[in-house]
Amino acid sequence: MMDLKKLQKNPRLFFLCLFFLAVLLPWLPMGGSTNYVIRVLTTAVLYMVLALGLNIVPGFTGLLDLGYVGFYGIGAYTSGLLAIHYNMSLWLILPLAALNGAIWGILLGAPTLRLTGDYFAIVTFGFSELVVLVIRNELWLTRGPMGLPGIPPPTILGHPLTRDWEFFYLILFLLVIVLAVVTRLHDSRVGRAWFAIREDEIAAQCCGVNLIRYKVTAFAVSASIGAMAGAFYAKWFKFIHPDMFKFWESILILCLIVFGGMGSIAGTMLGALILIPLSEVLRAVLPQSMFSARYLIYGLVLVLMMRWRPEGLIPFERAQARKAWQAKERLGL
Amino acid sequence: MDSLLDQSSLFLQQLVNGITLGGVYALIAVGYTMVYGVIQLINFAHGEIYMLGAFLAYTMVTLLGLPFFAAFILTILICACFGVILDVIAYRPLRNAPRLAALITAIGMSIFLQNLALMIWGSQIKSYPREILPKIFYQTAWSLGEATLSWLQVFILVVTVVSMAILHLIIHRTRIGTAMRAVSLDKTTSALMGIKVNRVISFTFAIGSAMGGMAGILVGLYYNAIFPTMGYIAGIKAFAAAVLGGIGSVPGAMLGGGVLGIAEVIGAGYLSSEYRDGISYAVMIAVILFKPSGLIGRQIGEKA
Repeated sequence: MMDLKKLQKNPRLFFLCLFFLAVLLPWLPMGGSTNYVIRVLTTAVLYMVLALGLNIVPGFTGLLDLGYVGFYGIGAYTSGLLAIHYNMSLWLILPLAALNGAIWGILLGAPTLRLTGDYFAIVTFGFSELVVLVIRNELWLTRGPMGLPGIPPPTILGHPLTRDWEFFYLILFLLVIVLAVVTRLHDSRVGRAWFAIREDEIAAQCCGVNLIRYKVTAFAVSASIGAMAGAFYAKWFKFIHPDMFKFWESILILCLIVFGGMGSIAGTMLGALILIPLSEVLRAVLPQSMFSARYLIYGLVLVLMMRWRPEGLIPFERAQARKAWQAKERLGL
Repeated sequence: MDSLLDQSSLFLQQLVNGITLGGVYALIAVGYTMVYGVIQLINFAHGEIYMLGAFLAYTMVTLLGLPFFAAFILTILICACFGVILDVIAYRPLRNAPRLAALITAIGMSIFLQNLALMIWGSQIKSYPREILPKIFYQTAWSLGEATLSWLQVFILVVTVVSMAILHLIIHRTRIGTAMRAVSLDKTTSALMGIKVNRVISFTFAIGSAMGGMAGILVGLYYNAIFPTMGYIAGIKAFAAAVLGGIGSVPGAMLGGGVLGIAEVIGAGYLSSEYRDGISYAVMIAVILFKPSGLIGRQIGEKA
């Protein structure tokens, strides 16, 4: 618990150390398991990026988004199709996938963000299910349930990336970019508007915050980060299938941010860093038939966290202030 | 002329199937809409109660060898208890927490129960053994041209209509029903009037879950398939039905279920069977966007 306190006080230093450790990681002597460890960590960092993206909507603006995986899937298929048909470079694919995610985010967000929170959650859920249905059924575009195999690997300066540690560095690089964007937004005028919306929509509106504009911005930024992570995933895994983008993925990512601390950037990353390797350990320990039951644990994490520690492992910095305010409200002051 | 007759009897058949399916959706939708009416929470775990209903009846019939109708009644009672337990352990502690917390808990419970069922019963599709069921279920009750109505469909429709009628009487003719309506209008005032709000909410969960469990058995019979993820799709469709009718309104849930069932079967028959599930999602999204109060629901403000 002592460590957790320190971590809460100064997460930046902790993550900086972790980052340097990560950069050195491929060169540490781990015997034969190096590649396995690196693959697990690549997955963990990928989910850190995904969680940072999702966190913007429920964490910063307080709206439950159950359709995040739809944007992940859109990004993955954008990336896969562009790479296969046009042999496009990764550095063009990443922004294009992010753009496509943002476009869909705006198309979905602009009409639905007027709704109350529950309806918004349900509509985003319906959207992600529709994305999977379209991917599954539009064979001419996506090959449907046959999946999309043979996505060419990304190249950097003419050198194709094939080794595990190269992908690990690539996703670390993406994480740094996304982290920079998210922290800058968090500390900006836009971020303050988001938190104001989360705390009290009506009060925010009275202070001149344009609700729709800021909510759609949040949704579009979140969607483009999800799509970019999807683009990386397609390039890394080289095969994508509609079943990879089912509703459960959204729940898993939601679970990461709830566990780590909704709204808190450090918490979000810590959540992914703990739960994703844990799930890989479970894959190794549990028999194949029981592996899918790991969602039992995720469900339980959601319920228990909401009941006993709704602020997560690393609470959002402004949560303290909020608690004081709520206590006052309860006393009727 | 001949093909025209075929066409019309095909249509009639699909209408009949659609109404049967719609009745079941309505049964599940009632659970969503009543809970939403009293505590403004989308109870995502409701679909799992429906799934547990199907599995419990299956286990009683096959493992314990109970007669079908005994299992039917017993399952409904157990599901009602499940609903109350769910409310007491998961939702009651969060009554005054932000709505986001309750919503996340609901999703967590849904995932948890679904995977619990997966661990207990496995992922293989199960079906009620035919020899245990009343034989009459599979005989034709009524036929016109090519269109037929089986006794099973009659049974489903009768059960649906009777339970809806009972529900209507409970809500409008009993003390607890009056209390439920009061709580859904204003919780604080109801409490001041001496209504035990938590007890009323638990009662609402019990009724909704009983109907959900019943719907689970009926669908298990109708499609002859029970599997752990059945609650997830049916739950969403029933929620769509509740939204279509106007969430919070019980007659709305019945109407929405009927309309959605028919739309789905006809749409799958004439438009595209691949997008069968998509029809419900599309209907739901369209209703939420253009008429969030539903067909006969009460008006919902920005901050409901």
